[in-house]
Amino acid sequence: MVFRFDSMARATYALLLALLCVGVDVLLLGLDYLGVVVVLMMTIEMALMAAFMVMFMMNPAGLAPMSMTHNRRGAALLSAVVFVALAAGALLTPWPSRRGDVPPDPTRQLGRSLMGGQMLTMMVLGLALFATIVASVVLATRRGRYDRFGDDLRGRPAEPAARGGLPR
Amino acid sequence: MAEAAPLWAAVVLPFALAAAACCAASVDALLAASARCGPARGARDAVSRAATPLRATVRLFARRPRRTTAADTALTRLGAAVVPVAAVLACAVLPWGFTSVTDPTVGVVWFNAMEALAWAGVWLVGWGPNSTLSMIGGYRFLAQGLAYELPHMFALTTAALGAESLRVGDVVAAQSGLWFVVWMPVAFVVYLLSALGMSFWGPFGHPLGRDIASGVAVELGGVDRLLLLGGRWMLLVTTAGFSVPLFLGGGHGPLLPAWAWTLLKTGAVLALLVTARRVLPTARMDRYLEPAWMVLIPLTLAQALFVAVAVLDR
Amino acid sequence: MGVRSALLRYAARRPTVLAVALPGGTASRLAVEAELCRRGLPAADTPADADLLVVCGVPTHRDLPWLDRLGAAVPSPASRVVVPAAGRAADLLDTATSLLGTAPLAYRPAPSDDGEPETARRGDDRDGLRLDRLRLTLGPALPDWPAGLVLRLTLQGDLVQTAETDTRCAVGRVVLPAGRAPFWDEPALNAASGGSFVTRGQVARRCCAAHLDSAARLLAVTGCDTLAARCRRSRDTVLAGAPSARIVGELRATTRRVARSRTVRRALAGVGPLPRRRARAAGVTGPALVADGDSHDRLLVWMAEVERFGADLDDPRAPETGGGASGPRGVLDPARPPSAALLGVLPGLLAGVDFAAARIIVASLDPDLDELTSSPDRPETPHG
Repeated sequence: MVFRFDSMARATYALLLALLCVGVDVLLLGLDYLGVVVVLMMTIEMALMAAFMVMFMMNPAGLAPMSMTHNRRGAALLSAVVFVALAAGALLTPWPSRRGDVPPDPTRQLGRSLMGGQMLTMMVLGLALFATIVASVVLATRRGRYDRFGDDLRGRPAEPAARGGLPR
Repeated sequence: MAEAAPLWAAVVLPFALAAAACCAASVDALLAASARCGPARGARDAVSRAATPLRATVRLFARRPRRTTAADTALTRLGAAVVPVAAVLACAVLPWGFTSVTDPTVGVVWFNAMEALAWAGVWLVGWGPNSTLSMIGGYRFLAQGLAYELPHMFALTTAALGAESLRVGDVVAAQSGLWFVVWMPVAFVVYLLSALGMSFWGPFGHPLGRDIASGVAVELGGVDRLLLLGGRWMLLVTTAGFSVPLFLGGGHGPLLPAWAWTLLKTGAVLALLVTARRVLPTARMDRYLEPAWMVLIPLTLAQALFVAVAVLDR
Repeated sequence: MGVRSALLRYAARRPTVLAVALPGGTASRLAVEAELCRRGLPAADTPADADLLVVCGVPTHRDLPWLDRLGAAVPSPASRVVVPAAGRAADLLDTATSLLGTAPLAYRPAPSDDGEPETARRGDDRDGLRLDRLRLTLGPALPDWPAGLVLRLTLQGDLVQTAETDTRCAVGRVVLPAGRAPFWDEPALNAASGGSFVTRGQVARRCCAAHLDSAARLLAVTGCDTLAARCRRSRDTVLAGAPSARIVGELRATTRRVARSRTVRRALAGVGPLPRRRARAAGVTGPALVADGDSHDRLLVWMAEVERFGADLDDPRAPETGGGASGPRGVLDPARPPSAALLGVLPGLLAGVDFAAARIIVASLDPDLDELTSSPDRPETPHG
């Protein structure tokens, strides 16, 4: 569906629909928390992605139609084959019957089996990654402090940036 | 642990929410009219002013939707319809007294996810009509989301942390003695601010600002407009109502039955927000983003830390 | 069908009104605004939401094309009415409203407007990103917008890259219907020309109302609805000819509230700075020159002048005739009216700000296009 549409917004929101379906899949697996978090995160991410699309190509409602498809026939054939193979696999595999019963909190179980004792390490790592992203954006901007105040931060700003809401 | 409501409650819920939204809109219309044209001249005039939202509903039903060139009509309609639907779905986890339509183990996260859906819907409405002014409105709403969403999430987290559970019923049960608002005042105030932001109304009505000729809604006529603006009121009622189980003790209270307490508290919060609208001007995001990130996020984080330490100390 | 038509009649009894002002239509705009308030009719911000399009003023041949486009943008069922003079507002609104309730629901496919005529070209934004540019024509019909002003903007996202005033807004290109003078400058012009006897109080009254009108617009664009409504009501009281002693207290309360409001200051501070040196070089006179600062300073000057004028609304003396006539927007020089100078500084102030700030800057200068007329007719007594 994502590749059928000729407007960026439609493609983005079709992708969001697909991801919401993934969220529902996870919910059906009994992982409530993960499923709802997928819905939450993906919605916000796709809305932001759409904004970036518009920033870099301002064609509201796809005024200049664009195509995201190439090699149509090959792609159609390939996707049909893959779908049939997957469906056949799902239907023909002898699934094992369930052993044991559902744990009281599947989310916790999943976290334990994925991370083991390294949960805290991974959380710290996540924060460090986030800080890196923010720092790289700050360094990349052309209107940072060093550009406006000079290398020793003692100059007068050449071009005052837009005022924020806090008195300075 | 809240009890589940009977099945018919799920059918009644959208209508009840719409009725509550209409009442809130009527009160707001009364206040707006007396600010614009002075006090009402007699009871009949007052009733007529209060009926403004009803009249607008009838009017918009009868009108034809407008089409603009090269518009993405399907996306616009979808976006406008998502707003009230998200409000109703978020309302499903809201306990009425001690009963809610559904009380999943992750009710708080569910609520937040539905708000995010409304977020995406509003952006779509701004994008769809192929009109510059409405797209500026959509931009503004995204910027607004970036400003309020993080403090909002921390405020929600704080309440869940105090109850040690993401289930809304457990959050209410944890407040049988002391309401959370007493020892989480910062989170409560931030939550109210973001409730206004979420329903893009009042001080956070910039995406539908008068300076861009009602922004996101600039090209909407007829039922689409009704869905967006009515959905906005439904969102406001839902977010205001959700502050009651989160911070104000839900149905807990002396003398009165639980449902009456819920009604009373929700009405009080709504009255507070609607009155605040008359005092507070519309916030521009270039002036709000900085306080939101530099002041509110640290404050909510400190609040969460305080609550976490208090919970560990129990 | 009985229920449906009854419901429609109920809804049509109080239609949503989109009022559009034309150059020279200030007096009828004020009358229409007061009339809408009296009946409690809601105001529409956009043609998509209007039941009734009210055109304030007399359309000239140049206004007809865009008025037609605007009327076409109002979805059916709807009606249009032109209010040529202040005295006609009430009965014309009555007629239009009664037509609305009974008009058959003829199906007229909702027309489409022009949309964006061109795809965007790319250009660098202030952060050096190559982003698309979009052209946007602002005006002449926007809520709280100077009547007749048309700006051509280039936007990236909601940042204004470049702005220029349309050629329709040049000195001598604005056409007022015969017998109309700029409403806000009328007493001052009359006093200067000595055509008919005008007192100092009449000049003060008109200037005071003009500033309140401008301030209400600026506050509305900023999003301070309550204060804006308050300024509008004070304006109407002043124009209605209330004696100075009775309203000076109310005016003082209004101006103090606006001037002391911290939220207003926070919203306006730093938007559109116009230092005195630049203002003088551009030929700006009046409040914008005195303010020597940003939008908030200009609002404060308006408020101070409202308070000053409010004290001598009933001054019976003849006005001073030294140094030329002075209207609410500055010195009324026929060769270069004050609003022309204000329009001259606009493009420079608008470049690089975001859209909301651009609207605030325009409202804080509030140029009056009536002043740019080609042949300032000998002013007559106002209608109504």
